[in-house]
Amino acid sequence: MEKIKVEICCGTACYLLGATRLMGIEQNLSKEMKDRVEFEVKPCLGLCNDERLGGSPYVRINGSEVLANATPDMVISRVNELLGREEV
Amino acid sequence: MHELFIEMECSQFTKTGQAACGDDVRFLTVDKEKRYIAALSDGLGSGVKAHVLSTMTTTMALRFLQSNLPTLESVEIIMDSLPVCEVRKISYATFTLFDFALGGRARILEMGNPGYIHLRGTEEIGPVSERKVQSEHWPDRGVRECDADLRAGDRIIFCSDGVTQAGLGERRDMKLGWRRSGVLKFAQEKIAADPEISALDLSRQIASTSVGITKGVCRDDVSCVVIYLRKPRVMRILSGPPFRRENDAEYARQANLGEDHVVICGGTTVNIIERELGAAVKISLADMREAGALPPIGRVAGVGIATEGILTLGRVLSALEEGRPINGEPAAARAILARMMRHDRIEFVVGTKVNECHQDPNLPQELELRRSVVRRIASLLERNYRKTVKIDYY
Ligand code: FES
Repeated sequence: MEKIKVEICCGTACYLLGATRLMGIEQNLSKEMKDRVEFEVKPCLGLCNDERLGGSPYVRINGSEVLANATPDMVISRVNELLGREEV
Repeated sequence: MHELFIEMECSQFTKTGQAACGDDVRFLTVDKEKRYIAALSDGLGSGVKAHVLSTMTTTMALRFLQSNLPTLESVEIIMDSLPVCEVRKISYATFTLFDFALGGRARILEMGNPGYIHLRGTEEIGPVSERKVQSEHWPDRGVRECDADLRAGDRIIFCSDGVTQAGLGERRDMKLGWRRSGVLKFAQEKIAADPEISALDLSRQIASTSVGITKGVCRDDVSCVVIYLRKPRVMRILSGPPFRRENDAEYARQANLGEDHVVICGGTTVNIIERELGAAVKISLADMREAGALPPIGRVAGVGIATEGILTLGRVLSALEEGRPINGEPAAARAILARMMRHDRIEFVVGTKVNECHQDPNLPQELELRRSVVRRIASLLERNYRKTVKIDYY
């Protein structure tokens, strides 16, 4: 089964606007989830210059879906949704 | 010959029980003439009096060499000015002087010190010519003056007799002490094991080994000077996207200098390097947790390390400005500073495109000062750390 890829931006803008709150996110995952999610930290997702997206810090899921103003809870619940969908 | 970096270093130990070192070592670089001068003097006896003698000697010697005073005259002034020892009726401190201008030959003057060692790799090289300079005032004191042909990669080693006489009369296996031949053999072994060993490391190892011969007790002051002519160690810091996108490829090629010598500084910059060189950056959540007060440091395999841009450079600047110890800095700044210290020549490759990412009104305004931060870092590196710096703009 493909893992869900979560890219956390840690570029200047995202860092300054709170990306560090995401750095402990792994610890908040259940054991099963940990095996199904892959985290990567990125230098700049190139999203921070596009106002329409909603604002840093950004997280990108599976290479396309963007979460703006990302928090650990947001990321985890989105990952849960995706995992749930796969299960069905 | 101009692409040479001259590393001059010295390691010393003071005679056990003495408050001051009776040896004195001084270096002088005359940038205008691309000239490098070193002086080592061993004052008669030990302690404060010896210290004064040797310091007077090196101070005068540097001044005379720099002003190109003839050898005999310089030596006579030095010997005439030193006080005479009541007991031994000799007035002096011994010395070794080294004087080298890039493109020319090195001149080495010795009086009373163990003979210098010239190594090319592990091979010992003799002087091109050598003569004795004798003063009428001091008939029993001769000065040996040698001309040496120095090439890239060569090393010159000289020391006080505290090094060569270590173990003298004390160790059965070294009746005459470690001797010059022992130092020579030791240096050759060290260079064979590590052909690029720095001047500082080699001088440290020689000095501490000589002290180790007498189990850490210094019977005499110990000083060892190593001068190493090497190709400068070059590092490159790429920061900022190029003004024109067409230049991205050429810009990225500047990162081909070997992994230990490259820093890519800035998110957008890292993206360009990844795209152009087909490399990928790796940063983990753990890196983020260990990052301290800056964004984390990543690694682009085969290319170099990657850091965030402007915050990190700003931190590097303030650390250099305030002379803060490197070890207390957040990981990314620490890594950049440590690399800077390890290299002689630091080349900045700066992209000048305004970073749209920083136009967010929520961000502090100072963010767009990449160019001025780089310029200030450059001038500190030149002024306070004797680095040569080049800045190219794209
Ligand atoms: S800094 Fe996060 S998208 Fe640019």
